[in-house]
Amino acid sequence: MTRDARSSDAGARIGRVVRILATIVAFALVIVPIAIVIVAAFSPSDYFQFPPPGFSMRWFVEFFRLETMRNAFALSIELALAAATLSTLLGTLGALYLARRRGPASALLQSLFLAPLVFPTIILGVALLLMYKTLGMPIFPGLLLAHCIVGMPYGFRTVLASAQSLDPALEEAGQSLGAGPLSTLLLVTLPLVWPGVLAGWLFAFIVSFGELNTALFLTGPGMTTLPIEIFSYLQFEGSQLVIAAASTVQIALIIVLVAAIERVVGVARLTRAR
Amino acid sequence: MKGRFSWLLVAPPLATALVFFVAPVAYLFWVSLHTPSASELYGKALTIANYANVLGDSFYLAIIRRTLGVAAAILALCLLIGYPVAYVIARLSPRCRMIALLALLFPLMVSNVVRAYGWVALLGRQGVINNSLRDLRLADAPLDLLYTTPAVVVALMTILLPYMTISIANSLTALDRRYEEAAQALGASPWRTFVHVTLPLSTPGVASGMLLVFLLTLSAYVTITLLGGPRSKLLVSLVYDGVGAFQWPHAAALAFILLAIALAVTGIILAILRPGRVQGARR
Repeated sequence: MTRDARSSDAGARIGRVVRILATIVAFALVIVPIAIVIVAAFSPSDYFQFPPPGFSMRWFVEFFRLETMRNAFALSIELALAAATLSTLLGTLGALYLARRRGPASALLQSLFLAPLVFPTIILGVALLLMYKTLGMPIFPGLLLAHCIVGMPYGFRTVLASAQSLDPALEEAGQSLGAGPLSTLLLVTLPLVWPGVLAGWLFAFIVSFGELNTALFLTGPGMTTLPIEIFSYLQFEGSQLVIAAASTVQIALIIVLVAAIERVVGVARLTRAR
Repeated sequence: MKGRFSWLLVAPPLATALVFFVAPVAYLFWVSLHTPSASELYGKALTIANYANVLGDSFYLAIIRRTLGVAAAILALCLLIGYPVAYVIARLSPRCRMIALLALLFPLMVSNVVRAYGWVALLGRQGVINNSLRDLRLADAPLDLLYTTPAVVVALMTILLPYMTISIANSLTALDRRYEEAAQALGASPWRTFVHVTLPLSTPGVASGMLLVFLLTLSAYVTITLLGGPRSKLLVSLVYDGVGAFQWPHAAALAFILLAIALAVTGIILAILRPGRVQGARR
């Protein structure tokens, strides 16, 4: 073995060690903060203690006993259901329209529908608050439309991917058998892109349920979403453990939804959709 | 869908995007060009003073510099940790790869306020780290880890790390391994193969990961507030404070300075990495 080959062999070994170390560090950094919140939520102590001195559900009882928390939880769910449905409907319409189109106008439309993914949402929040103040918009529809804008790219993207992989012969077959454009859409295209629609809906729900940057500006007294309620508790009332319980409820709902995605469309679609 | 009435499909999403996304942002820009007013949302006279005041004030410039510094540190750490992890993930069997990607994707679905709270619980004066140090008798008094700029960097870096890792891993998975084999067969060392073949071919994933991490850093108000406290404010905190103080034209100008920074850095990242060079790259 030449000296060169031996040094490159050692280099490869160091490279492997570095990669494995980085992987362990990365997963620990990403998962540990979430795991600590979940463990702390089951603590019987009055204040944060780690590891907790025992096991208790008292903070979950407290979470559902506090009216502000309960209301925030209910509002978040209502909002996420409505925003996911509306944004997926709009995203699906846009995706079906653009699926077979090329050219600068279509490219522009596509960028517009995807823009909220990368546009700094804090600016969207400020801009919407200003417009709502000028127009006198009530809180709930205002929040709903903001969450709808933030969620629209998800439904749009998943349905666009499904619709572009469709064989155009299927739609042509429908038309040649006498179906009008509307019946072709409802009876042929929509059933075929349905998994994309569902995946988009679940994504939009998850995004709306955790949304912070627009809700920060658009929630109001007596009408707060769960993430914003958690945030103001942390800022003004200190980190009482009811926050850990609220966070764990948030996480539990996400786990249920991911399981739903797995049942309905398969999780493999998730890792590709990002 | 094509046909005479197909525009009916695109009308609702287009109208929604125009009315609730484009119009409010345009209106905000319009407001940023007006004098402040005590009674109305904004005054009548046109001015660029709102921008000039921010860009001519050393207080604001220092915060803009700190924002860029924090973002640069987060980007560097995300790349440094995210790239090797993505490399490991891309070399796994398809089944293990999916599990690893899901383990990274799941935290992204948890609200950022919950993930920031996890870091508060770790770094606080009564937090996990300080309590462990005390129990191990390594420190006499609790360390001030929370409400510092490094706390913001570490927490935000870990919150955004999955975006970087997933996008690079997707790029590396799509990479044709025969290129690397060819380089090695022609006598290149593993390191040379990586620098001249693997790294350039993964630029689309690196670029999209960097863009996502940078843009999300700019608007991460909640994480910055919970971890940085009042002393480590960034540009986004000033936008929020401006709105809270009803200084609409001032807050609007700060928002557009934030947007200008976002666009400029996006342009720089794309110009340096040129992800479009890689053939067959997804945009």
